[in-house]
Amino acid sequence: MKRRDFLKAMSATGVAAATGSMFAADRVDAADKLDLGMVRSVKVDVISETSWFDNDKFKANMTEGGGASTSQYTIAWDPENAGGYSALITVTTLQGEEKRILLDSGWSNAWMDYVFEKKGIPRMLQRGEIDFMVLSHWHLDHLWGIESTLKHNPKIKIIAPKTYYPEDLALLRDKGRFTAKDKAGRDVLLAKNDVPHRGELVLTGPEGQDNTGLYKIMPGVAVKMFDVPILLRVRGENVLYFNVQDKGTVTVTGCCHPGILSLFSFAKQNFAGYQPYGAYGGLHLSLFETWDPKFDDVIAGVKAFKLKKVAANHCTGWLWAEKAAASGVPIVKGTDTYKTYKRQSLVARASNAYLTNGDSVVF
Amino acid sequence: MSSAIAETAGAGHARGGELAGALLGALNLAVAFGITWALWLLVLHPNGVLKLYTPMYGFSLVAVLVAVLVAMARVGEGWPLRASALAPPVRGVVATAIALALTAFIVHGFFWGFLGRFGVTYFSPRAIIAAGGVGAEFFNARENASTAIVYFAAAFLWLSLSVSIGFGTWPWQSTPPNVRAFSRLSVVTLLAVVAYAVLFHPHVTQLFYPAQIMAGAPPWWAALAQTGSAYFNLGWVMTAVAVLVVTEILWGGWPWRLLGGDSGPLRGLAALVGSLAGGVVLFVASLKAMTAFWGEPFQGGQYTDAPYFRYLHAAEISGFVVLSAFALDTYFGAARGAAGRAIRTAVALGGAAALHLFYYSSAATRLLGKVPGIAQPEDTSLVWTLLFLAIVLVQRDLFGGWPLRRGGTAA
Repeated sequence: MKRRDFLKAMSATGVAAATGSMFAADRVDAADKLDLGMVRSVKVDVISETSWFDNDKFKANMTEGGGASTSQYTIAWDPENAGGYSALITVTTLQGEEKRILLDSGWSNAWMDYVFEKKGIPRMLQRGEIDFMVLSHWHLDHLWGIESTLKHNPKIKIIAPKTYYPEDLALLRDKGRFTAKDKAGRDVLLAKNDVPHRGELVLTGPEGQDNTGLYKIMPGVAVKMFDVPILLRVRGENVLYFNVQDKGTVTVTGCCHPGILSLFSFAKQNFAGYQPYGAYGGLHLSLFETWDPKFDDVIAGVKAFKLKKVAANHCTGWLWAEKAAASGVPIVKGTDTYKTYKRQSLVARASNAYLTNGDSVVF
Repeated sequence: MSSAIAETAGAGHARGGELAGALLGALNLAVAFGITWALWLLVLHPNGVLKLYTPMYGFSLVAVLVAVLVAMARVGEGWPLRASALAPPVRGVVATAIALALTAFIVHGFFWGFLGRFGVTYFSPRAIIAAGGVGAEFFNARENASTAIVYFAAAFLWLSLSVSIGFGTWPWQSTPPNVRAFSRLSVVTLLAVVAYAVLFHPHVTQLFYPAQIMAGAPPWWAALAQTGSAYFNLGWVMTAVAVLVVTEILWGGWPWRLLGGDSGPLRGLAALVGSLAGGVVLFVASLKAMTAFWGEPFQGGQYTDAPYFRYLHAAEISGFVVLSAFALDTYFGAARGAAGRAIRTAVALGGAAALHLFYYSSAATRLLGKVPGIAQPEDTSLVWTLLFLAIVLVQRDLFGGWPLRRGGTAA
């Protein structure tokens, strides 16, 4: 069906000409565009993208606890179902030096200890070989396993969204311990941290450093905080941007709640020499193994933005990754390494449309 | 105007003088707000008692309740309670109990227990789960079934108001109230089924994997709307509803009454076509305003960048206008004359803006248990707006305005 003239004036505009942004204040003139600098390459190792193993059990806990808008600290999550999300990012600078960033610290300490060990994270933390940790957002599966990181380096610098709730900061800094009642009235331990964070805590806001909207953390690397409301009473997400030499802009996300195309739209408007290239992480789409026409919209949009490499996992949803790959989106396929781990997600599929536990991608 | 709502509204019924009436109206509005908040805490609040704001399940209950209230008071003209000898408060309690029972029956009995099990699977969470397939567990199933019910309620609401406001009692003006009530309800339901099938069903059939392509056509609006979401249709349907309500409640039926008094085919057609045209104009205007504020949306964008959110937000803005118009007329009386109507319209639009500001304020964050921010996929202001509207309609139509107004002869 062809669009009529009056519909052209509507909000629905051509994707190729997309110039939207999350916030009006983010728009800048061409002359003010930001120069991120450059890195030679970015490697992402998947420490764990499996935040929970049984999707149906997770949804049942959430439903019994009051639904998607309920505080995550009041739901009796089944501890046996907890995994966690974390990734190790290795940046090679133009000078050839390697810098490491830990993205998130997962949920279950038992699981995180296990997956950290597989990737040698404890030793890197103890030796100070990880320069800092970025907390993408304050969701349980990204934060509640913080003890697994801090017990190896309680002074690690952490960059986190300033939009925390009191429980979040108590867990991070004050030996927080949280329980919730299950249906039988029993206390279920949700999260604890016996090793308070004692290092520098950088709290990020949408305004960024010097009102640039960004936090430049090293040449070619920046954090952008998108202040969006998120399910389970969480707010705001940090996103990592990289400008990779001869390739272009790469995003690395925890859950990408703001939307992958909004991230690239922001980059298009604000970054000097913007060239879309790749994305890694959860994309927060069909995570509950259901579908919606808006997920088809994202597939069409990603193709229009001409990304070259999309390494998706976690809350992206296997359905979306498979359908996107079938539609021509350059999805980076994973391997069967995840099958060597002691537990796997029940929704994992033979298609390897996810870059999953034990895999890595280089941008 | 033949509806029960109109008979219970209008200036001059307030006790005492104009100032006293205005003060009483303000007090009544505050009480209605308080009742809405208490009900929100009890039923919907994410960390309240029942926690039904999942969001779609709670949304479906509230949307059906409003549709039931409109059907009882407008489509059915209050039959059969209207003719009873019960005093307004007693009649209001009985009618409210009937409305709540009907809401529970329609959602759980008709859609979940009957239609979903024996007709269209997606209307019943248990039928969806029994059918199996990807993602077929209770959370998804209830949200998907609730989405379908919300859409049907929207179609029903739109056509209820179009028929009752536009056509009035025509062509049953000479028939007994019971015949008229059933006839109009039948026509509205029939039209709502067709509207639902064309405007919303294609979206619901895409909520499953694989899409139910033999049961529903692909969303025909996807190319022009840049989304397959039926929020596109919900947007213009709700702006058309807002036009109908403003013309009826604030303008006394003008301009439709120029074509046939309170009822008639010409008036009905004019109202239907005119409200659609006006709705589209408002829809486009709302979208343009959003574009000016947030920039251009684009296909695949999320939150405020998403075309589907812009359409939903147009519906949400219309919801604020509808609530504001009803509250103004119910608690502060109807306007007289063109100037009075213009002023009332401006006040109603100001009220809608105030509601918008409130819903996204830090006060609402605390009162309603929301996360600060806009366009959260798990949050739509329509749920709170419709709950508040239901409280206003219950007092206005089922209690005949009691205790604020004398008399009152609604359901």
